Amino acid sequence: MSEEKITMPVSGDEQAVASEARRSFLRKSVAVAGGALAAGAVAGRAVASDVVKDPLPIPPTNKMLGRGVVSVPYGMPSKFEAHVVRRNVEWLTPDTIASISFTPLQDLEGIITPAGLHFERYHAGAVDIDPSTHRLVIHGMVEKPMIFTIEDLKRLPQKSGVWFMECPANGGMEWRGVQMDSLQFTHGMISCSEWVGVSLLDLMKLVGVKKEATWFYGEGADGSALQRSIPLPGAKDQFGKPIPDADKIYKDIIVAYAQNGEALRPENGYPIRLVVPGCEANLSIKHLRRIKFSNKPLVTYQETRHYTDGMPDGRFRQFTLVNEANSVVTFPCPDKKLPGKGAYEVRGLAWSGRGKVKAVDVSVDGGKTWKEAKLVEPVFSKCLTRFTMPWEWDGKETLIMSRVTDETGYTQPTLRQLRKERGTNSIYHKNSIQTWKIEANGEVKNVQIENL
Amino acid sequence: MFKSKTSKSALVAALFAASSMAFAGPYDGIGKQITDEAIKPWDISVFFDGENLPAGKGSVADGEKIYQAKCAMCHGEFGEGAKGYPKMLGDKLEILQKHAKSDEDTVGARGINNLWGHAPTLYDYIRRAMPFFAPQSLSNDEAYATTCYVLYIAEVIGDDKAVCDADFLKKTKMPAQDNYYTDPRPDVKNPRCMKDCMKEAPIVKGKAVVGDVSVGAVKKVGE
Repeated sequence: MSEEKITMPVSGDEQAVASEARRSFLRKSVAVAGGALAAGAVAGRAVASDVVKDPLPIPPTNKMLGRGVVSVPYGMPSKFEAHVVRRNVEWLTPDTIASISFTPLQDLEGIITPAGLHFERYHAGAVDIDPSTHRLVIHGMVEKPMIFTIEDLKRLPQKSGVWFMECPANGGMEWRGVQMDSLQFTHGMISCSEWVGVSLLDLMKLVGVKKEATWFYGEGADGSALQRSIPLPGAKDQFGKPIPDADKIYKDIIVAYAQNGEALRPENGYPIRLVVPGCEANLSIKHLRRIKFSNKPLVTYQETRHYTDGMPDGRFRQFTLVNEANSVVTFPCPDKKLPGKGAYEVRGLAWSGRGKVKAVDVSVDGGKTWKEAKLVEPVFSKCLTRFTMPWEWDGKETLIMSRVTDETGYTQPTLRQLRKERGTNSIYHKNSIQTWKIEANGEVKNVQIENL
Repeated sequence: MFKSKTSKSALVAALFAASSMAFAGPYDGIGKQITDEAIKPWDISVFFDGENLPAGKGSVADGEKIYQAKCAMCHGEFGEGAKGYPKMLGDKLEILQKHAKSDEDTVGARGINNLWGHAPTLYDYIRRAMPFFAPQSLSNDEAYATTCYVLYIAEVIGDDKAVCDADFLKKTKMPAQDNYYTDPRPDVKNPRCMKDCMKEAPIVKGKAVVGDVSVGAVKKVGE
């Protein structure tokens, strides 16, 4: 197409505003939402003056040749997306080796987290393991202890699913009061991927797990040799009390070797990891080297000193394995201010470790009234679910929040309800309703409503 | 998503009872059988009751030398913690419980004497993951000695002449051993209210700044 065909003659007046219109065009083309109304409000002009009248400039990329194939053998995001990265909070941990980073949820769409943006949680740093020497051993209460290569595992029937992976400390800095003025830091300890691997049930059949086995544990090949006990039907704790959900958790478990279409990333457990859908992510042992079946839990460091929840009576809850239903508004959020009043689509994420999201309600009046949002397909079990709701902002202070109900009928609690039951020393499993306060200038703040 | 009770138990029965058929499955030939002897170097996990503790022993005195050389820089000379790394000696359990009951912060007061299940798993963790910069570098005897010294400075054992081995650790009662209970959730019920859910104006607390705990002034929106 020639340039003449798309260049229209313009008047002098129209030419006078051409440069501003070009800037406006650029601004609108990158706006998250809002279109002409929002852009007009930012510039402080009447909506009618925002009509584009000057001729569109020809983008320079129309007049050049680009890079050839395989000039970037493994494709990377546009250089204009360089701000979309994992981040950490320096004061949270004494070093970055036993630490955590956060997924930039504010910049992600849909439900899949790109592997390179999956939050990281290391207990002793990420390691690079040669898959040709890596082995998985399965033993304990089995008829036939076995050892598998990665090639062996890939010959077995595949099982896959799209499941979220969430650290139980997600939101944990907020028990005592608001702390992180950022969606990335309040909720970024969650990611969601398509995981592909081998069903635990198939591996159980291969080794012949004995009837008396009521637990197994997985162990990693990294410097932490992380180990967690995972219940099977009939599992009891060290006091003889039954473990809830023991007859549900194990059925979905896979030994995964792929994530979003490619091999696991080193940060996410290469070459193989457990994936325990719906449960706190530390059960999904990375760099998995060993599975042992037993008739009791280990009750080890991770299960007494670390991943236990301090209660207001001074005792600690253990084996709080399932991540209960949770949701958050991802737009607007503190990381994405509103450019001006007008029409928007509120967007967010909801999930439940006990199954599918049934409904998400949104409130824009501080929790007085709620309106059911639209769930975006697909809606999978134990998977991030995207919700949306059209919304017109009047430019006034607004308290916005979401509340999920899952297929078991469980509705996401308020922080007041959680604190009443669990106090403020729990660290883990804070799944309460998140409130954002939109200021009149469009800035968005993390707040807590004490009487909700 | 969850099947009925009947099909659940049927699945469980099929999985566990049919184990003798496993060898004849269509995937026979994938993977190799392995002996317990071959697994032994990897089979290091110790259960809470002391099962799988190895042979060997180590004294408080031997442990002190290892601890001061390899552990004190992070956990403190006296187990008081350092540079943000965990304490060995936290508040006494009764003090931690008292603070929890009055909703004071207990996170910084946690140690081996108020939040650890069993002595054998302390051995497991030290042998598996400590010292942090050189995991799995301690011999079994060194791990016993270090465990012994840590129990001593955490005031779990009082005898500075103690020698720790499998039997000793099995008999050692940890202060917080019975201070745990298994997950009772769902523990909070929030009715799915849609209209007139709040009678009063919302009391908003904020605003947060990344990295800075902000309690903020209490005020009602619109005031």
